[in-house]
Amino acid sequence: MASTAQSTSSTLPKGVAPLRAGVGNSFLWRRLHSLTGIVPVGLFLLEHFLSNAEALNGVGAYNAQVKFLTGLPFRLGMEIFGIFIPLAFHALYGVYIWWRGENNVIDYPWAGNWFYTVQRYSGILVFAYVTYHIWYMRFAGVHLVDHYDASFWKVQHELSHQLALGIYVVGVIAASWHFGYGLFLFAAKWGIVTGKKAQKRAQAAGIALSILLMLMGLATVYAFVTAEPQKKNPVWDQHSESAPEQSRLIPQSTPSSQAR
Amino acid sequence: MANKSVLFKIKRQASPSTEPFWEEFEVEYRPGLNVISLFMEVAVNPVTRAGKPTTPINYDSNCLEEVCGSCAMLINGKARMGCSALVDNLEQPITIEPFSKFPVIRDLQVDRSVLFENLKAVKAWVPIDGTYALGDGPRILPQVQEQAYQLSQCMSCCCCMEACPQFNESTGFVGAATIAQARLFNMHPTGKVLKQERLAALMGDGGIQECGYAQNCVEACPKDIPLTRSISDVGGDVMKKAILDFFRT
Repeated sequence: MASTAQSTSSTLPKGVAPLRAGVGNSFLWRRLHSLTGIVPVGLFLLEHFLSNAEALNGVGAYNAQVKFLTGLPFRLGMEIFGIFIPLAFHALYGVYIWWRGENNVIDYPWAGNWFYTVQRYSGILVFAYVTYHIWYMRFAGVHLVDHYDASFWKVQHELSHQLALGIYVVGVIAASWHFGYGLFLFAAKWGIVTGKKAQKRAQAAGIALSILLMLMGLATVYAFVTAEPQKKNPVWDQHSESAPEQSRLIPQSTPSSQAR
Repeated sequence: MANKSVLFKIKRQASPSTEPFWEEFEVEYRPGLNVISLFMEVAVNPVTRAGKPTTPINYDSNCLEEVCGSCAMLINGKARMGCSALVDNLEQPITIEPFSKFPVIRDLQVDRSVLFENLKAVKAWVPIDGTYALGDGPRILPQVQEQAYQLSQCMSCCCCMEACPQFNESTGFVGAATIAQARLFNMHPTGKVLKQERLAALMGDGGIQECGYAQNCVEACPKDIPLTRSISDVGGDVMKKAILDFFRT
């Protein structure tokens, strides 16, 4: 009797813990998560969408944009400290946030709660998509830092697979939404936009930006899919490490697929 | 039964350590019935719909006019007050459950002391204790009074916390009610003396940063307290403090 009473008392639900005033660093990490979502990750997203939209101006313009970006000074440093580390932090801490939230949109099907839920799941989708995207575009296959002129071909080749095309469309939509609505969340949580009316406006503006980015991204995908199929230049398969100087020179001496 | 009746089922639990179970009831319909009056009917004749004798239902209640905050429970899945939940507006059978995020004491009665602990953690009061009379307090402008009045209506029902997806055991989020009360006392010309302490408390683990802005709190609040506005407002104060602390300490 006594033993059963003891075992049940140890499993009694304690409920939610009270506020731990003065304890922990979660405030710093959580606000840093919020900030990195805007700067630099959000800023990079805007640059990335705009740069990719060069595809609408044709193969030459797209490859030239890649040449410009890959030729920037301190490129590797900017990639690591300006994109990779903040993005990885935002993504991993975001998974932690997602993990601890308890969706209750079935019980409380209100607009804000839907947006809350979508923000969490779009974040997870974007994380999965971006991981794949970075692996494929930055590390696997033809190296675009060495062969900028392969850029259009590489994206087009990727999007020629039905499954990849689907993944890109979903990824573009999810990322656009997550950033646009995230901008509103940032403004609301940091006390920049506080009033009811002002928040309605900010929310509408965030959603409008999301839709704009979606349209921009989908138009870019459309441009790749509908453009004349590019041919692969065998030179692109040469790895830069074996002959870095040479491979950097080759694309410039052979116009390859750049001419339509 | 010739007369119209009301069907409802209640998730009951005899003690904190026993398993919950459901009981179904049927009482005669009367115009103007609310959920608490259904429980009163059961207390008069504690028999389930199947005819099995049972115990009266245990629940917190006091004012029965949506002012005291006692009779909060889940009615058809949503956090709200039993006294202001009119049977005429509810889909039947009405399902009634205790709050899911607070330890059950018995039946619909739950332990909501976490809110009291949170209010203490943010010092949600105006400090006026002393050894001599301090005289009249400073004048409060009517515009400030109007804002403060809205916030002062909080009755500690905990609906905002129950409905919040971020208020759970893994986050230990403080919840909207406490943040709104911190704002209320920060607004007060004398209460303001503790403003920095309140903001510092809200930056601890489980503090304001855990808000996910799902905005369920403001929808669920029976008193229509501007909770999301309070979270944004205090959120701004907390950021200002964080930045100033970073540069000036």
